[in-house]
Amino acid sequence: MDRQLEQVLHNVQKPARYTGGEYNAVVKDRETVDFRFAFCFPDTYEIGMSNLGLRILYGVLNKMEGVWCERVFAPWGDMEDELRRTGLPLYGLESGDPIRDFDVVGFSLGYEMAYTGVLDMLDLAGLPVRAADRDEHHPLVIAGGSCAYNPEPLAAFVDVFSIGEGEEALPELVECCRKGKAEGWSRKELLRRLAQIPGMYVPSLYTVTYREDGTLASFTPEEGAPAVITKRIVGNMDQAYFPVDTIIPSTEIVHDRVMLELFRGCIRGCRFCQAGYVYRPVRSRSKELLARQGKDACRSSGYQEMTLSSLSTSDYPPLVELCDDLLDYCVPNHVSLSLPSLRADNFSMSLMQRLQTGRKSGLTFAPEAGTQRLRDAINKDVTEEDLLTSCRTAFTGGWSSVKLYFMLGLPTETDEDVLGIADLARKVYFTWRECAPDPKRGVRITVSTSCFVPKSHTPFQWEAQNTMEEYQRKVNLLRDALKRDKSITYNWHDPETSYLEAVLARGDRRLADVIEAAWRDGAKLDAWSEYFSFERWMKAFRRCGLDPSFYVHRVREKDELLPWDMITAGVRREFLWREREQCYRALITPNCRRQCTGCGANRLNGGVCDG
Amino acid sequence: MVDHRLLFEKAGRARFISHLDLMRTFQRAFFRAGIPIKHTEGFHPHAFISIALPLSLGYSSQCEILEFGLQAPLAGEEVVRRLNGALPEGVRVLDCYEGGRPIKQLAFLDYRVDLDYPEQSAAEQARQALEELLGRESLVVRKKTKKAKCGYTEVDVIPRIRSWSLEREGARLTLNTVLAAQNPGLNPELIVEALRAERPELAPELSWCHRREALDEAGQPFR
Ligand code: SF4
Repeated sequence: MDRQLEQVLHNVQKPARYTGGEYNAVVKDRETVDFRFAFCFPDTYEIGMSNLGLRILYGVLNKMEGVWCERVFAPWGDMEDELRRTGLPLYGLESGDPIRDFDVVGFSLGYEMAYTGVLDMLDLAGLPVRAADRDEHHPLVIAGGSCAYNPEPLAAFVDVFSIGEGEEALPELVECCRKGKAEGWSRKELLRRLAQIPGMYVPSLYTVTYREDGTLASFTPEEGAPAVITKRIVGNMDQAYFPVDTIIPSTEIVHDRVMLELFRGCIRGCRFCQAGYVYRPVRSRSKELLARQGKDACRSSGYQEMTLSSLSTSDYPPLVELCDDLLDYCVPNHVSLSLPSLRADNFSMSLMQRLQTGRKSGLTFAPEAGTQRLRDAINKDVTEEDLLTSCRTAFTGGWSSVKLYFMLGLPTETDEDVLGIADLARKVYFTWRECAPDPKRGVRITVSTSCFVPKSHTPFQWEAQNTMEEYQRKVNLLRDALKRDKSITYNWHDPETSYLEAVLARGDRRLADVIEAAWRDGAKLDAWSEYFSFERWMKAFRRCGLDPSFYVHRVREKDELLPWDMITAGVRREFLWREREQCYRALITPNCRRQCTGCGANRLNGGVCDG
Repeated sequence: MVDHRLLFEKAGRARFISHLDLMRTFQRAFFRAGIPIKHTEGFHPHAFISIALPLSLGYSSQCEILEFGLQAPLAGEEVVRRLNGALPEGVRVLDCYEGGRPIKQLAFLDYRVDLDYPEQSAAEQARQALEELLGRESLVVRKKTKKAKCGYTEVDVIPRIRSWSLEREGARLTLNTVLAAQNPGLNPELIVEALRAERPELAPELSWCHRREALDEAGQPFR
């Protein structure tokens, strides 16, 4: 280990974040590899190592002959200060080598609040943050992940965006870069060739013009670059790579357990949910393979906890059989099995009761809206009866704490819908009174609200976000309505983060200046309240002469050219618009299992969709 | 319950694994090595292990002791072999044996403390200064603690030092010292702290602590 780094590690909190050397970390011989890939996650080690996508792509890349993929995470403030003080450049955890000498520096973008982290990490690496200031002597900077579905706010900083699932696309990118290296292509030449790989978006090959009102006028590809970039998917989940032998961190991370991926996509079609649209079509793994992967992963990792992760786990058709199979292994081996993202229905509840052996911790449900009308409008397929029946089962079974999540500011919402949240929470309370086996123990019902953020590639991509004042008014309304209910606690998220997310989620290229200004003024790790400053961001907008409310509070026209229109996730724009109209009529769209409503995503998989 | 012991070393990058994290690492390592060990009772049974005398973050050691219980008999060499294939870089099991003396008989720890200076002359001055400090009747150091209101307690290090010697090679000064292990023990860092407090100008650039051996009351290796 580098002496200076060693000294630095003595001065920081949780140094194990920065050492590498974990079990199963891939260490290759520098002499035998010809391609170095830095997989960067613009948040802390604990968050990044909990990301299944990182583990998958790390495995896929390291399986390639001659390629060495290493991990890099955003340093916490104390470590960043030390790195800047000593001048140590950001390094790959596996080798300790500076990533500025690597061939590719790739970022995984999961949430907008990590954008300043990208700039900060490039800078810590000793690289120019703007793509225009880099050339073939610098690593190629790429990015992927769910935020890449609207890549425009980061277009000035990133050379290439990889849209969609990376298992097949990234190796193709690496091979192309290798060829370019061998043949001595210029950066421009490399970018032109990369743009020919399906799913690759090279922002510098496109020219954008604006109208006087600030909306987009045109979006023109340079000769040869595709006009539409279609996301990549893995067609067959049974053949997709799963990281059985994955890195076991030597320090605690957020999701410190085996994560099985049952399927990709979601059959539900909640209209506010970006993941529900961009991960279509639905593709499942077979239960036999999952059971084997789960057991092998426990044996290989030593984890004694396993979770079944997918967007809506209870929609996996053979879930009961899979759980039975896994429990046969888990119980005798002291491995606990858990299900996240539960739906409030009988099926999920009975399954959960079977899995829950020990302490009964809190239950969480996300009805999202307070009235049936609004739940229909957002296509959230949960009825009051479903929810109350689930709560009854839970209370009877000994649970005494329930968390309910809602969004305020959903399209078509009225005050009646807001007050409906209070009614629903009260009904949950009365349900508890009716059936609690031990009423003396009391009950804790927690209601949480956050401010709805309209996202690209959803039926609400044309919508305005509530103003922060409007959100606060609704919060006050709800708070007053719940004032007298001693057993109900009301928590609300502050709207400032949601506001900024809304700007970045549907922003265009002009935001680059704002992001850079905020970062130069000290913004980093914005997902952490320790570091986030709303004022700093507003200052950056003022300095750049951009009005954030243009992005946040404006309803887009049906035919407006949207900044992300060159990217398709497979779902047709007309389908999204139709869904929006259904919302305004408070009409639900049946889930994909009841009836395929023709979103178009199955075209990406030869017409096959497991929905 | 705990009828077996491991002797292991912690070095390299693994020095930055905290005590709690190291326990978790071993629990998982046993599991992935396919060595069933005894579990605690209760709702959430977990593999029971205990590591004697936690090592400070950043220190290396070649004499760490871990206690555990085997569920089924397995030869010591086999435990060592399998575990070493299941541990992260820098943690290496040296021996596995049955029984052992009560941990409370672990009386002393033998440390090597390396102090690095920018140049030879500074290291030489530090050698003389430490010689003087350690030769005193009493040497009181402030030790940071969360318990005391003022944020520190005062510790006299001298009674907890059993032996010491100093040698210098170039710009590196090495303190070889045997210190009380427990009730109460002495962290060698406090000796460096004493030097920093008494002679701030002779604070080393870097210091490295390494545990060489665990000893019993008679000064014999403790196992
Ligand atoms: S193709 Fe049909 S079934 Fe598949 S996600 Fe789209 S609407 Fe649902």
